[in-house]
Amino acid sequence: MSELGRILLVEDDPRDVELTLTALGDYNLANEVVVVRDGEKALDYLYCRGEFSARSNDSPAVMLLDLKLPKVNGLEVLQRVRSDERLKLMPVVVLTSSREEQDIMRSYKLGVNAYVVKPVDFHEFVNAIKELGVFWAVINQPPSGSMKTAP
Amino acid sequence: MGRFYGLAKGPARMAVSRSLARWNLELQGGRPPIRYGFALISVAVALAVGLAFQYYDFRDAELPLFDFAIVVTAWFMGAGPSLLAVVLSTACFDYFFTEPFYSFEVSRQDLAYFFLFTAWAVVTAWFVGARRRIESDLRHTRDRLQAEVEQRKRREGEIRSLNNELAKRAGELQTSNSELESFAYSVSHDLRAPLRHVVGYSELLQKHASSSLDEKSRRYMQTILESAKRMGHLIDDLLAFSRLGRAETTKSPVSLDRLVNEVVSELGQDTKGRDIAWKISPLPVCYGDRSMLRVVIVNLLSNAVKFTGMRAQAEIEVGCVDGETELEVFVRDNGAGFEMEYANKLFGVFQRLHLPEEFEGNGIGLATVRRIIHRHRGKVRAEGEVDQGATFYFSLPKAQDTAERTADTP
Repeated sequence: MSELGRILLVEDDPRDVELTLTALGDYNLANEVVVVRDGEKALDYLYCRGEFSARSNDSPAVMLLDLKLPKVNGLEVLQRVRSDERLKLMPVVVLTSSREEQDIMRSYKLGVNAYVVKPVDFHEFVNAIKELGVFWAVINQPPSGSMKTAP
Repeated sequence: MGRFYGLAKGPARMAVSRSLARWNLELQGGRPPIRYGFALISVAVALAVGLAFQYYDFRDAELPLFDFAIVVTAWFMGAGPSLLAVVLSTACFDYFFTEPFYSFEVSRQDLAYFFLFTAWAVVTAWFVGARRRIESDLRHTRDRLQAEVEQRKRREGEIRSLNNELAKRAGELQTSNSELESFAYSVSHDLRAPLRHVVGYSELLQKHASSSLDEKSRRYMQTILESAKRMGHLIDDLLAFSRLGRAETTKSPVSLDRLVNEVVSELGQDTKGRDIAWKISPLPVCYGDRSMLRVVIVNLLSNAVKFTGMRAQAEIEVGCVDGETELEVFVRDNGAGFEMEYANKLFGVFQRLHLPEEFEGNGIGLATVRRIIHRHRGKVRAEGEVDQGATFYFSLPKAQDTAERTADTP
């Protein structure tokens, strides 16, 4: 693992953030993880505006996106990303509590790369996060334009 | 009466024609003195006018006058009075208007005239009477048709209002359905998150502090974890159950034989080391949603396997009673059974008749079975005796009512 992609985690619940970061940390995935707490902030990050106006203009290796978010919800973020010429190739994984068919169908119709239901069981949760991190930020080759950082 | 129709239009016309008809019928159906009296008076009036004309030397007016009296009588008063009018007219004509005047004798030269008058009077009375009968028949028919049309209109109105009511109900149902859906969605999304946190943080706590915790505290931690996980499963089951009620059914012919054999061989994985005597009779092809019916078979067979766990040799029998309008499939086991007193509770959601230590499971299986079978317009029932085993039945309607089946929606 010479290169690790940056992970953008869009999650409003601080406990889920902590558990996710713990899971990633547990497996020594030293990826840079950027956490934003709502859909608006996620778009700010992706478009390098607001508090993120100073950051370098590159896409994360993967965006882990919750569906139920304040202000702009996950499906809206996904829709904006997929309709943007510069961002539409960015890998997006929906990471949500919802197992509802309509959420799954709408996410895939909007072009999500993967849909993961957060498991209730902690071991399964940690495993799922670890595998997501390893696959999307390490194994998967993202489209050019996204940043890879040296560890 | 037809000539009056042009006077008014629509309801007014109907009212006019109806009141005339009523008047006619009342006259025709009136008492005999009135009807025959009318004949008498009309002939008397015709005679009086005829004599007046004769007085002023205006000859031959009597013929149309008597004719008119006969016509009017025949039209309004019916056959009997018209006959009287004919006889009276003939008599008057003979007496007053044929030579010799003022006698019933008829001179030779007036004989032809007299017979002509008589024949003319009879023919007119008969013709008018016949016309009158035909017209009153027509009127009756028309009235009946009109009544039928009105009745139909009334019924159409009733159907329309019932339809409106139905549409309203359907709308309400739609609303409560979508409310239910959003409720299920909230449960799915919002209830699971805190649960995940309980489990996650308990695990973290266990990991960080287990060395400093005593045996009792570790057991408490374990209980918290297990309970939270169990609640997770309950939520998942409940959501799956609620989805089952909303999911579309896609029906096709399903071979129950193949379905049961598939499920039995799948269960074989879990029943290694157990002595189970399967007795499966040939089963027919039924009509239903294959994946849903599979859930039914899985639930019933795995229940049978579960509740025969304490038998040295378990016996599980699957059979079918092929009735005229429905087929009834049964699954019989020699397991723990149940008290018939509680048979109606078996199919409730989260209803259990045994302690969790005895048999695992959360009591959603039979509720699921019932919901699926009800959606197939079938019925479920159970028979059992404690320690003697249980038999579960489900029935499915047979495949003749195609129209009803295709109309089936959730």
